[in-house]
Amino acid sequence: MSALSQTQIFRLQIKTLAIKELRQIMRDKQMVFLLFVMPILQLCLYGFALSPEVEHLRLGVIDLAHSPTSRELVSALVENGVFDLKQSGGTSESLATLVREGKLDAGVIVPPELERDIKSKKAVDVQIMIDGVDANSAGIASGYINQIMGAFNRKLMAGTQTDSQLVLPQISFAYNPGLISSWFFVPGVLGLVLNLVSTLVSTSTVVREKDSGTLEQLLMTPVNSFQILAAKVMPLSVLLMMTVFVSLIVAKFIFHVPFRGSLLLFLAVSFLAIIVGISIGISLAAFAQNQRQALLTSFFVNLPVIQLSGAIAPLESMPKFCQWLSLIDPLRFYVSCTKAIMLKGAGLDVIWPDVLALAFFAVVLLTLSSSRFRQQLN
Amino acid sequence: MQIGRIYAQAIKEIAQFRRDKLTVALAFGLPVLALLLYGYATRLESKDIPVAVRNFDNGALSREYIDTIFANGQLTPARWGSRSDSIGSLDLGLAKATIVIPPEFSRHLKEGLTAPVAVIVDATDVNNARVIKNSVLATTKFFCKTHHLGGSPNLITAQVRLWFNPGRKEAQYVVPGAVAVILWIFPCLLAALAMARENEQGTMLQLYASSLSSFELILGKAAAYVAVSMVMSVLLIGISMLLFQLDVVGDLPIFILSLVLYETCAIAFGLMVGAKSASQSVAVQAVATASFTTALLLSGFIYPLRNITFPLSLISSILPARYFVESCRDLFVRGSDAASQVFIPVALVLFALLVLMRASGMIRKMQLPG
Repeated sequence: MSALSQTQIFRLQIKTLAIKELRQIMRDKQMVFLLFVMPILQLCLYGFALSPEVEHLRLGVIDLAHSPTSRELVSALVENGVFDLKQSGGTSESLATLVREGKLDAGVIVPPELERDIKSKKAVDVQIMIDGVDANSAGIASGYINQIMGAFNRKLMAGTQTDSQLVLPQISFAYNPGLISSWFFVPGVLGLVLNLVSTLVSTSTVVREKDSGTLEQLLMTPVNSFQILAAKVMPLSVLLMMTVFVSLIVAKFIFHVPFRGSLLLFLAVSFLAIIVGISIGISLAAFAQNQRQALLTSFFVNLPVIQLSGAIAPLESMPKFCQWLSLIDPLRFYVSCTKAIMLKGAGLDVIWPDVLALAFFAVVLLTLSSSRFRQQLN
Repeated sequence: MQIGRIYAQAIKEIAQFRRDKLTVALAFGLPVLALLLYGYATRLESKDIPVAVRNFDNGALSREYIDTIFANGQLTPARWGSRSDSIGSLDLGLAKATIVIPPEFSRHLKEGLTAPVAVIVDATDVNNARVIKNSVLATTKFFCKTHHLGGSPNLITAQVRLWFNPGRKEAQYVVPGAVAVILWIFPCLLAALAMARENEQGTMLQLYASSLSSFELILGKAAAYVAVSMVMSVLLIGISMLLFQLDVVGDLPIFILSLVLYETCAIAFGLMVGAKSASQSVAVQAVATASFTTALLLSGFIYPLRNITFPLSLISSILPARYFVESCRDLFVRGSDAASQVFIPVALVLFALLVLMRASGMIRKMQLPG
């Protein structure tokens, strides 16, 4: 035997185990699906399905005035795509019923005296009813109606003496001037998917050895528990980094989400998130008796982690209590990093508190999970 | 087909269910946790949005304008931060919008000249960007009106009435939807696990050898889990009425009918997924992808259905959750005529039958003839 130093043997053992681990994962169709296909599917599904747009609301109109002005008013409402004219005519009761049953989103009743009142410069009310079940869309829609009506009024008064509003807010949208909603969701969902995949994959690699009893066999070999753990974490982190790349490609080429920040910073932050995910997965596996239990408990953990992360509904909109609760959610910090780096091009000088929190979670969770794992082995 | 055998199968299933503490926790604890999370944490519209203002004017009008902007409670003042450019506080995440009031603002207004105000909105959150824009426009209009700063007297005014939910409480929208989605996901998961367990432990083979027919087996399991899911439903609906102040305003009998059918659909779908899965972990994953995400995303629970575009809208239209979300909103918020809701139970019956047949067809292949 040539003289291999102690550390060389140590490294060689880890390397061998890691290669075994890598082969085992790549051989398993379910794992490969989780690592590379699921992120693409999830990103596309979330990116295309989630959209808070307020447009194409179904509008019903009863025009009792039948005048040029009333027709212009209706076309002003329909003009920019917020409302689609679906129903015209009928009685106010029938229109009300359609809104009540949810067949229309909004109804407009133009009174018969519209033309006459405008000629005599008398104010006239146009009744508008909006289905308020969807509180958010209804709020934005009524804001639009007020703006459309304002513009229409200005047009009506154009020939006369009155002047226009003096204070003019000039509003511009930063980071996402086209208000493309997928730009909001894709960076968040990227974090969500990475978290989901890393916990699922690491749970099942550990739990499977437990279920099939091969963990005991591993213990009889000269490797120690630290080496077993390291050999599990390393190949998984490499594979999950590839998941990050796959997700970035989807974000870039399918959703055209801009990437304004530093890729290196993004990868570093993603690595921290991966370590967090793997640690959660290993702890779940270490606490569970079998695969079934591990899977079920993962539901208990992943549900709040995802819901409180701000990936689906914005964090700022949550009640204060939930915002406090989200401070113990590692995914929250990763999601706010991905959004800041991708959309705002933020650097470490801005996102350092989030990165620090994520690093803290990574260290604590990795220590906890590895001690629990080694405890079980010894 | 024998009722006795179906009954026996159902009883066995319930006994097995009760024995496993974790599954019981899954059946009752997890849905409640999910309801609380979805109910409290799914809010789209922000309150107290931080807005940083820089006022280069030193007249009284500009100060009054700023007061008006913050008066309606949607926006709150924020620090400008260390950077002087107007996007700086957005970059640093201190504010969601910045407003810059130019020098001469008050003087211009007094002389009857227009005064532009630069507003930059952080549009990373598209929805709230729109909320901020509408809020700024509306308060500005109000300011001009109260200070007689032009703005033509409106000849035509819109009398907007918001129906069903005049206070625009988002919980009224989110919670009924959440109940529907949760009552799809978890029964589905339970059923899939129960079926996959038979596959995994090989007990399915024993069933094949027994006199039980595949359809009886499926019906027995379905009956047991429909019973479990009914308990779950009562629990969830009770909690949402207590904590989120929902009231029954719709037609209760037709809702209950829809509920039973909907749960049958969920469980039939779960059994089908379970029958196809060789192990419980595969079943959980299949349910997570095929059922969890679709019910969450394509049912119109968070964002309106009309925004789901083709081809995803096709999947959405065959999703029972999509219809039951409507049923729940109808029961708790809308309260429309029963007649307009009848199509929902009909659609659910069709779905349930189709899936139950498919599930039993899948395991019949293995059974010995005769």
